[in-house]
Amino acid sequence: MIYAEHLRKEFKKTIKDPGLKGSFKALFKPKKEIVVAAKDVSFHVPEGEILGFIGPNGAGKSTVIKMLTGILTPTSGECRINGKIPTNDRKKYVREIGAVFGQRTQLWWDLPLQETYNVLKEIYEVDDESFKKRMAFLSEVLELDKFIRSPVRTLSLGQRMRADIAASMLHSPKVLFLDEPTIGLDVVVKDNIRQAIMKLNKEEKTTVILTTHDISDIELLCDRIVMIDKGKNVYDGSLHELRENFGQTRELVFETVDPKALTEEKFRKGLTLDESDLEIKKENNSFRVRFNSKKLPVGEMLSYTLSLTKVKDISVKDADVEEIIRSLYRQGVTADE
Amino acid sequence: MNNIRRRYVPFMKAGIQNLVIYRLNFLGFVIGGLIYCFVMFYLWKAVFDSNGGGAFLGFSMTDMVIYLFLSNTTGQLIFSGVSNDVGEEIRDGSITMRLLKPVNTDLSYMFTELGTVMMKLVVLLLPMILGLETYRYFISGALMFSPVNFLIYLMSAVLAYIISFRVNLCFGFIAFYVKNLWGIGILKNSVINFLSGSLIPLAFMPDGLRVCLEYLPFASMSYTPVMIYMGKYGTYEMLFRIGIQIVWAILMYGLSKLIWFGSIKKLCIQGG
Repeated sequence: MIYAEHLRKEFKKTIKDPGLKGSFKALFKPKKEIVVAAKDVSFHVPEGEILGFIGPNGAGKSTVIKMLTGILTPTSGECRINGKIPTNDRKKYVREIGAVFGQRTQLWWDLPLQETYNVLKEIYEVDDESFKKRMAFLSEVLELDKFIRSPVRTLSLGQRMRADIAASMLHSPKVLFLDEPTIGLDVVVKDNIRQAIMKLNKEEKTTVILTTHDISDIELLCDRIVMIDKGKNVYDGSLHELRENFGQTRELVFETVDPKALTEEKFRKGLTLDESDLEIKKENNSFRVRFNSKKLPVGEMLSYTLSLTKVKDISVKDADVEEIIRSLYRQGVTADE
Repeated sequence: MNNIRRRYVPFMKAGIQNLVIYRLNFLGFVIGGLIYCFVMFYLWKAVFDSNGGGAFLGFSMTDMVIYLFLSNTTGQLIFSGVSNDVGEEIRDGSITMRLLKPVNTDLSYMFTELGTVMMKLVVLLLPMILGLETYRYFISGALMFSPVNFLIYLMSAVLAYIISFRVNLCFGFIAFYVKNLWGIGILKNSVINFLSGSLIPLAFMPDGLRVCLEYLPFASMSYTPVMIYMGKYGTYEMLFRIGIQIVWAILMYGLSKLIWFGSIKKLCIQGG
């Protein structure tokens, strides 16, 4: 369905020396520098999958999404969606896709929300009956009723985001690109949006590519994740595999009876773990210990702790995805350059 | 054709709705234009008075009044703000959202603006014509309105709008390279004002310069239709001038397409 092969995008950027003098210099003799926003990104998404496309800020996610949606032309590499090359026939191609860029809006800023949908209906040539059905579905899931008659500029961020999502789904796209659709939203709105994505995916087999910094988006929605960093693939696989392979981190939380006797150093001393495999946080009498369970089995860690001090309460938590991704980001940074 | 109507008319409707929302802004433009006309009127009145009140380079004072008010109105009618819109959208990257729609980018801009043009036609041009013809009637004592000239004027104004739109579109595309258009936008407007004859009728310019300017696209933008309305051209010259307009419309259309396809490959989206 979606093939991205060795996508690369370079930008020319004008460099300005600091200060007024630098501005003058840049005005007459601009210095150009080539910035590589995406170096080499490849992945493939089968039909009906929800792919979590993640990476730290500045990794090149948005650039890749923009290449996939046909807005940017790749410097090299190729992408094919539905057998089409996005930039070849933009007008025909975009008919089959929907896109939401969390920081922008496709709504008509000054018009009541309903007008945007009416315009979109005509642009995408949606017939009356499907439009009606679609609007009913969307306004139910995304709760648009309350503000559908208000001008877009008066909407709150959460309302606008829901409205934007609805706008991208109106023409039953085969592929949906969502670039940070839940950015800055509260839990309830996030949940609305996730419901809409899930329903659409299930009922129409819409393929979804989702970029987000919200780990629960990924946990709840995505079948598979592709992670990039510095414009390159870092990880490609299912969430389950990711947990298996990288989820060896455990978190031990305990409360000691005698906080004065047990210091961080003392706790660390008895363990033979490296700095990277062990992280200790002490707060009053409670300890929070992150450790690598491959290097030190959970049982041993527990007995060590119990031998060291008398505890009031103790628990061991599984690694959450956030933790895994944090460690992957760290690896990605050290793996290259 | 039906397809185009279905897909682009919504843009026009939205354009009109936008105008209604910003009606005070629109009113400001109209009143500002009128004040400008009256300033010019008194300026030229002084010129004509010092000349003994007679005709001046083939223009009577009545002609001059018609010319001033009509060329200003025509200028407002065919005014295209597309360079600002395109420039702004390129600068802040929101052109992204336009590119995601299965429509021609240029046509979507044009139809949004056509909504405004329609409104201007009704609330600006028609009252202005009515007012000017009343004025002419009281001065000369005879009804001088020519429906034929008016129709040809409208046709010529449509061509003028197309040229104006395309010129401004090309200009807006400069934003692909310079990122901020405000300064050169002001330069552009002053140059167009002068070269199109809306400041001083081209007929008043020295012959060599006048001939040059008459062949440039700027004269096609408001001078030609106004001269047609005033009946200053014979049949042959009228056809010739409209011919020039058509040629410029095609050339500017081609140029704007060329720049568009050249630039879009280099597009880089700023901010996110």
